[in-house]
Amino acid sequence: MVTLDLHGYGWMLWRGLGLTILVGLGAMALAVTFGLLGAWGKLSRYRAARGLAGTYTTVIRGVPELILILLVYYGVPTLIQDLAARAGHDLRVDLNPFVAGIATIGLIYGAFATEVFRGAFQAVPRDQVEAARAFGMGRALMLRRILLPQMWRFALPGLGNVWMVLIKATALISVIQLEELMRSADIAARATRLPFTFFFAASLFYLGITIVSMVIQGRIESWSYRGAQRG
Amino acid sequence: MTPDAGPREAALRVTNLHKAFGSLDVLRGVSLAAHEHDVIAVMGASGSGKSTLLRCINLLDIPDAGEVHVGGELIHMGFDRRGQRTPADPRQVDRIRTRLGMVFQRFNLWSHMTVLQNIVEAPIRVLGVPRRRAMEQADHLLRKVGLYDKRDDFPAYLSGGQEQRAAIARALAMEPEVLLLDEPTSALDPELVGEVLKVIDDLAAEGRTMLIVTHEIGFARAVSSRTIFLHQGMVSEQGPSRQVLDEPRSERFRQFLSGGDWGRSALTTPSQSGENESP
Amino acid sequence: MDLAIVWESLPRLLEGAVLTLEITFVSLLAGLCLAVPVAIARLSHRRILWMPAYGYMLYFRGTPLLVQLFLVYYGSGQFQPLLDQAGVWFLFREAYFCAVLTLTLNTAAYTAEILRGAIIAVPRGEIEAARSVGMSGLLLYRRIILPKAFRLALPAYTNEAVFLLQATSLVSIITLLDLTGVARIIVARSFEPYKLYIAAGLIYLVITYTFVLVSRRLELRLSGHRREQPVGGVGSASGR
Repeated sequence: MVTLDLHGYGWMLWRGLGLTILVGLGAMALAVTFGLLGAWGKLSRYRAARGLAGTYTTVIRGVPELILILLVYYGVPTLIQDLAARAGHDLRVDLNPFVAGIATIGLIYGAFATEVFRGAFQAVPRDQVEAARAFGMGRALMLRRILLPQMWRFALPGLGNVWMVLIKATALISVIQLEELMRSADIAARATRLPFTFFFAASLFYLGITIVSMVIQGRIESWSYRGAQRG
Repeated sequence: MTPDAGPREAALRVTNLHKAFGSLDVLRGVSLAAHEHDVIAVMGASGSGKSTLLRCINLLDIPDAGEVHVGGELIHMGFDRRGQRTPADPRQVDRIRTRLGMVFQRFNLWSHMTVLQNIVEAPIRVLGVPRRRAMEQADHLLRKVGLYDKRDDFPAYLSGGQEQRAAIARALAMEPEVLLLDEPTSALDPELVGEVLKVIDDLAAEGRTMLIVTHEIGFARAVSSRTIFLHQGMVSEQGPSRQVLDEPRSERFRQFLSGGDWGRSALTTPSQSGENESP
Repeated sequence: MDLAIVWESLPRLLEGAVLTLEITFVSLLAGLCLAVPVAIARLSHRRILWMPAYGYMLYFRGTPLLVQLFLVYYGSGQFQPLLDQAGVWFLFREAYFCAVLTLTLNTAAYTAEILRGAIIAVPRGEIEAARSVGMSGLLLYRRIILPKAFRLALPAYTNEAVFLLQATSLVSIITLLDLTGVARIIVARSFEPYKLYIAAGLIYLVITYTFVLVSRRLELRLSGHRREQPVGGVGSASGR
């Protein structure tokens, strides 16, 4: 049995865990926003909106997360500087890794959330919409009062999955030097020369988040099924 | 055993079979014997335990009590670690099953195999019949059930009637001693029933030993030698088919035979589903 | 815009792409071989079989691939004397070996979960029909359950393969020169990040959608025998 003696670096991992969860929550909020926008685009009557949403999900699913993170953190500032230079301005742009991390992870998982929301909107029975129309509801009112409240129930399981994948993906932000859980473990591993100990400890933290999330997801799902027929 | 050496052992003997699903007693002591060349029709309202009887015979469901003999061989039962009744020797069950052909209500053809592959699969893999011989035999069976031209089709592209005929050919390929048919026509569109009954009729004429769960009264009268009427998990009437079907003794069987809604009677008429047997 | 740097680097990027593909296919193949027994063990009623399978799948699906990669590549160093004694240390010194080992273990866990779902989805009647002709145990799995389950699992497995392809980009972090690795090296020297990362991204896109196209064709061919829809379609997030 390997005992996990963290040589006084335990606090660092806990702090890293806090930052990981913070980044995760921020990215999730962003992903839900992008997801709703993306789903709106995909189900839109406007060809341009459909095209834009389609390109978004296609590109995100076809390009590795690591490339996207590197692109946002190193690429975007350089791009802005280059463009500014061309316009004759000398600009120095630095992205905060925390902001860049949230933005990139949110953007990536927004694409997955898009598919979740699209499926959820389509899962709301058509006659609910027709009933709303029959009562003279306009599009906006119907969306707000009928479609959105019902859609969430169908979206929750999918969003739970997105969250669990997303929180693991935050480990990648360690490559842009943000001291979240993975980076903290890396620093501790180097300092103590006990890489297995610290990476294993970190993996248990992630596993803990996954298991807690699974339990909460189960609770939320059974809660959200109140009054709904189980298929 | 030679045919005329002493009392002939039944091809299939079922003694005092019991089966419950949870608190629901489906079989409550069913006994029957099928001798060689017997064609036995098993009838009864839905929920009377007909299908469960067949499934208990080849151990797809494990009976809670009772014995099954196939060709004189008893299927040995024991208990597992949790005290559940279970076959004492799984290999014996596999072996017995090769001697009992099963035709399912919903055909259950293997959907990833062609008709021909469905038929030769078990003879080759289970019985160890040489491929060549299995193929020849399959071709012969396919002609017999009228599906030779469909041999290389996948089940999804057959009609229900064709699927069931293929399933019968699959069961026959094992050269079973007894053929068990579980409502072979009740999943079919009415216009497809005839072609399947015709095949079964031919099998009866060949002298095959069969146990058929069926709702087709006319068919039972024409083809079966004996009829058993199950009610609430017990044999309520049995005898030579013509006699039993033409002069049913119990009111319930009479109703069953004349009623158009026999299939649902247990569900639609609560008065009939009481615990007591009325004479 | 001056794209000279991209054209100059293209041969090296493509070389990297070859390594990306190689690692992907080796891990996929090894992962599939491992996933079959794991899935079967997971579905067993015997505690000694399903509990280890469950633990393995939970750990590798519940933790980030990056941590797993570091555990194998850096973490093995902590056990150098032990691994030396076993005569396998020379393997763990190789980033390539560590990458393939980790990706294999990782994809096997996800694939086992896909297979588990597919095995459960094999129609009961077809299994009963097999039992009724005396099939059981391995024969039943080999001839009826697995062939059917593989076909049902194909769409979800295609997704898994795409996720693995993209996950291989992490091997650049442990110094391998895959497509991402090559791009990062050139960026470090040329300070042209967005051009090269976009170029690398486009190559990934092309590989990904070529692969998806080919496997959809294959799916169509393999599903010629059935009309019903397969389980677990596109869109289920199963990334790392």
